[in-house]
Amino acid sequence: MSETAMELKQLKKKIGSKEIIKGLDFEIQKGEVFGFIGPNGAGKTTTIRMMVGLMGITEGEVVIQGQSVKSNFKKAIQEVGAIVENPEMYPFMTGMQNLKHFARMTPGITRERIDEVVGLVGMENAIKTKVGRYSLGMRQRLGIAQALLHKPSILILDEPTNGLDPAGIRHIRKYIRRLASEENVAVIISSHLLTEIELMCDRIGIIKNGEMIGFESVNEQDADDDGSRQIAIEAEPSDKAAELLKERHGIDVEMKEGFVAFEASKTFVPQIVTTLVNEEVLVYRVEVSKASVEDKFFDMIGENVIG
Amino acid sequence: MGRLFSLIWNEVAKIYIQKSTWIMYIFIILLIAGVAALSFFSDVNNNEYGDDWKAELEAENEALTEEMQESEFAGDFNTQQIEKNDYHIENDIKPAEYDAWQFVFENSMLSSFISLLTIIVAGGIVANEFKWGTIKQLLIRPISRSTILLSKYISVLIFALATLAFVLVLSWIAGAMLFGVQGLNPEMVLRKGGELQASTVVEEIISSYGFKLVNLFMMTTFAFMISAIFRNSALAIGTAVFLMMAGTSIVSFFADRVWVKYILFANTDLTVYTSGMGPVRDEMTMGFSIVVLVVYWVILMAASWLAFTKRDVAGN
Repeated sequence: MSETAMELKQLKKKIGSKEIIKGLDFEIQKGEVFGFIGPNGAGKTTTIRMMVGLMGITEGEVVIQGQSVKSNFKKAIQEVGAIVENPEMYPFMTGMQNLKHFARMTPGITRERIDEVVGLVGMENAIKTKVGRYSLGMRQRLGIAQALLHKPSILILDEPTNGLDPAGIRHIRKYIRRLASEENVAVIISSHLLTEIELMCDRIGIIKNGEMIGFESVNEQDADDDGSRQIAIEAEPSDKAAELLKERHGIDVEMKEGFVAFEASKTFVPQIVTTLVNEEVLVYRVEVSKASVEDKFFDMIGENVIG
Repeated sequence: MGRLFSLIWNEVAKIYIQKSTWIMYIFIILLIAGVAALSFFSDVNNNEYGDDWKAELEAENEALTEEMQESEFAGDFNTQQIEKNDYHIENDIKPAEYDAWQFVFENSMLSSFISLLTIIVAGGIVANEFKWGTIKQLLIRPISRSTILLSKYISVLIFALATLAFVLVLSWIAGAMLFGVQGLNPEMVLRKGGELQASTVVEEIISSYGFKLVNLFMMTTFAFMISAIFRNSALAIGTAVFLMMAGTSIVSFFADRVWVKYILFANTDLTVYTSGMGPVRDEMTMGFSIVVLVVYWVILMAASWLAFTKRDVAGN
């Protein structure tokens, strides 16, 4: 259906005898926004550093637009714009001086392109101020501007909404979506802010201890009506409700903050309510929510490993 | 090639945009002004000679001889001064008056200040990118790490030359303002290796600064290497400045050992071969020292290159 922008083939990283990344294998398509999440120390940053050639690849390959980062670094990296970890710039230079500095490092960036990129991230007013006086949000925007200078076909952003105010986050989110859909750019976003990722990404990859432990497609999840949902019912007497659910429908429930909570398909809800009403249980409230990425994330990695 | 030029442009721009560089230049200005004022108010060597300078020199010689008969202490200095005066008379060279050129020549010790500033720049040029975190932005461009390192090294050398030019021009101007200018390139008589020789002042300025640049060049390369390996500017500047100052003491401490001749600092001062002072060990020659310097340079550059191109950039 679509072209592959980046491919990881059995990517491994060893430091000393310790294997930090244990064979990552996935593809990112053009026009896709891919979220890369995992707890601290899972290997997100190491993977990103290998993608852009900051760290050597122990085994396997990163292929960008058909070019291997290992054997053909210059050609491969020309397709990539990135912010690795923090958007660090020279504090003693203005935003514009920083952009010009980086523009000189890649062939074919015109003065018009620099101005265009400044406009895209809405930095016209601050571009002549020294970066040392920027807020984190402003540096984040300048970082994105810098990454877009050479019109890359892959954009790698580490924690792109870090330090942005809500308006800034919305702006960046919209812009990233537009880049993907209109310019067919593949965007890789690493983050631990799961809700942020959910709003921005088409697909999410979860990494833990150097291994990909799952992929989630965000859009599919919305379409999927029969998927299991988190259901919480406020009923009285609640112990009777729990008993009925167990007897009639074979559902094991949990008591959470006065709610009877369980997992079931959305289509099942009317039947349950009918049962309860017929048995004269008072039903005050029924809440149905889809399992968020956050829940899945915690399910997959186990809550205790975070941090 | 075009890319390398842009990279050097970037690096030199980064050096000169920083305030600390301008503070260093202000120090240079203050230092030269201070030295100029000092030599202006303590003019010991400012004899002026008229058209009849040969007679004046002979009279001076007679006075010196008399002084020698009266006091035993004046001996060495006076004999040398008489020899020098005789040389002027025999070779028909009128002693030049103290002027801007002489001032520039006498202050070639300012070159160690240039060394210090260049070491500061060299020590920071790689390490600071790590400190600022901008190294990641530099290395994810379609440019090899070797080219980036080369551009940084060349930029340090450009800084050294620019600073040297600044020092020379500024001290000439200071000298010209206080002592005037006597011709474009006055002749002078100097004692080299016990022998008196005539040469021109520009020639002498070039050779005295030139020889001192050897030390600057080696210590700068050393600081650059520490900067590239340890990614720490304080360490790079500290060790390089320490070695620059302690180098000669280290050498004289081990002077009776055979291997001392392989120490870098036994070879950085090439004037020992031209001034008649003699090297630390008699078997050393100018050719030997140059080979040692080249070997050290290659080792320092190879170490910088390996550290910069092969190692992972992690943790900042």
